[in-house]
Amino acid sequence: MRTLDWIVLVVSLVFVIGYGLWRSRRTRTTDDYLLANREMPWYAMALSIMATQASAITFISTTGQAYADGMRFLQMYLGLPLAMILISATAVPIFHRARVYTAYEYLEQRFDAKTRTLVSIVFLIQRGLGAGVALYAPAIVLTVIFGWPDYITTAIMGVLVVVYTTLGGIRAVTWTDFQQMLIMLAGLLAALASAIWMLPADVTFLDAVRTAGIAGRLNALVTTFDVRDQYNLFSGLIGGLFLALAYFGCDQSQVQRYLTGRSVTHSRLSLLFNAVAKLPMQFLILFTGAMVFVFYIYVQPPMIFHPGEMAKVEQRADAPQLQQRYDRAWQARRDAAGRDEAAFTTAQAEIDTVRKASGATNDTNFIFLTFVTTYLPAGVVGLIMAAIFAAAMSTISAEVNSLATVTVIDVYKRHFRGNATDHHYLWASRLFTAMWGTYAVFAAGFGRSLGSLVEAVNMVGSFFYGSLLGAFILAFYAPRVGAHAAFLAILAGEAAVVTVHLTWKVAFLWYNVIGAVAVVAAGLLLSVVLPRNPSASQAT
Amino acid sequence: MPFLGSWRRVYLAVILYLCGFIALLAFTWGF
Repeated sequence: MRTLDWIVLVVSLVFVIGYGLWRSRRTRTTDDYLLANREMPWYAMALSIMATQASAITFISTTGQAYADGMRFLQMYLGLPLAMILISATAVPIFHRARVYTAYEYLEQRFDAKTRTLVSIVFLIQRGLGAGVALYAPAIVLTVIFGWPDYITTAIMGVLVVVYTTLGGIRAVTWTDFQQMLIMLAGLLAALASAIWMLPADVTFLDAVRTAGIAGRLNALVTTFDVRDQYNLFSGLIGGLFLALAYFGCDQSQVQRYLTGRSVTHSRLSLLFNAVAKLPMQFLILFTGAMVFVFYIYVQPPMIFHPGEMAKVEQRADAPQLQQRYDRAWQARRDAAGRDEAAFTTAQAEIDTVRKASGATNDTNFIFLTFVTTYLPAGVVGLIMAAIFAAAMSTISAEVNSLATVTVIDVYKRHFRGNATDHHYLWASRLFTAMWGTYAVFAAGFGRSLGSLVEAVNMVGSFFYGSLLGAFILAFYAPRVGAHAAFLAILAGEAAVVTVHLTWKVAFLWYNVIGAVAVVAAGLLLSVVLPRNPSASQAT
Repeated sequence: MPFLGSWRRVYLAVILYLCGFIALLAFTWGF
């Protein structure tokens, strides 16, 4: 990081947060603090939805995945456009008509208080346990690349998020997300343009694309069905559809974005913008990784991109032989590039073999940032760092904001203090936002000592999504299913997912399908013996 | 405390767009 990089990073952080706070300077009511008075335009919500989903680790790690393995990761998003259509057609008008602050509030209108409370608590546990990850994950990578202590990085990002989410509420979150998404896009385009611009003069853009294609770095589709592999066309279209339905339709951290819309039309447009823009955005990230791969055909990369792991390999007795094999294979690949496809493929296979023998199986998180910090010009590095900070902060701000909203609306107001003044709930919202934000910073601080536990918690979190989706499918589409049947069905769906996890090796994308189908099936069966009480609820 | 005239046609356009995008990704095998 040079002086110009620091200037770009600091100015972008100050501008984005200042703009968000300025846009939210007149926040005076709970309605305004939690839902921006329902007057947000579609383009602000659209970029906020996109920024919330794009975390820093997506930015850092996805580029490395394309470098190492091609674009198969993109298949996870193929179900997303279909999910956006279904949510636009059903959830958006229903939530708008119900005038709710949270998705779970609707479940009480449709079922009863215990179903709403169960789902709210599931959300608070799931999101609460994972709250620090969005801060902690990029901090680890920045520590390795720059030597910045991870507690400093998490504290800076975390404190800034706490300040603007607590002061400005969702209006500040949405407008900072809007700016942060633009910074992410600018950083990404700068990295891609730099990678292409730095190719040798006799290698055209089309040559680079062709070379990446021959090397398999543009491979995006796998048409072999395997229930254990989450990166194939079928798991992407079906599992990805259910994951996107649960994430955008039932997770308050996303639902709250489009509940702020000034009309059904604006909320729909914000989702359909993502239906169209999300795939090209992910493609752009992966394509950048593929172009970095082509760049390293002409400039020799390190054998392992993780500096600490590389230092360990250099201590091994066979290190000189490994390095010689690697140097020879890289030279052979360079000589064959664009001339001899068979020799190129053979040399690439040798490079992959040597990297595997040296233990470079887990350095994808470090490929992109090694390229950025080694070769990109001053200013561009700062812009890409600003993009990584923006990605982390936009994700964590939505989590903190939605956790506080559910705590106030679905727990505090519903069960503890139901008839206080609006001013009281506004300050309760601010207090819970500050509390959840502070908790997230501390959770991120403990991330290093809780490493594998954090991963386990995230995995358990993925168990809940299918059941959550099943509950909303019953609420929207099964009018004869009553409150008791729905409550028991959610528990049955959860039990089904846990049973599958313990007895059958299935890619996690399928958990969402299994959970949702189990809840719907159990709900329909139980409705025969536990019919709906017509006077218990009104919404359909 | 609308482009294309109607939503149905918008949804259809998004589905056709997805099919086109998958075809572009298939062009995996073009090299």
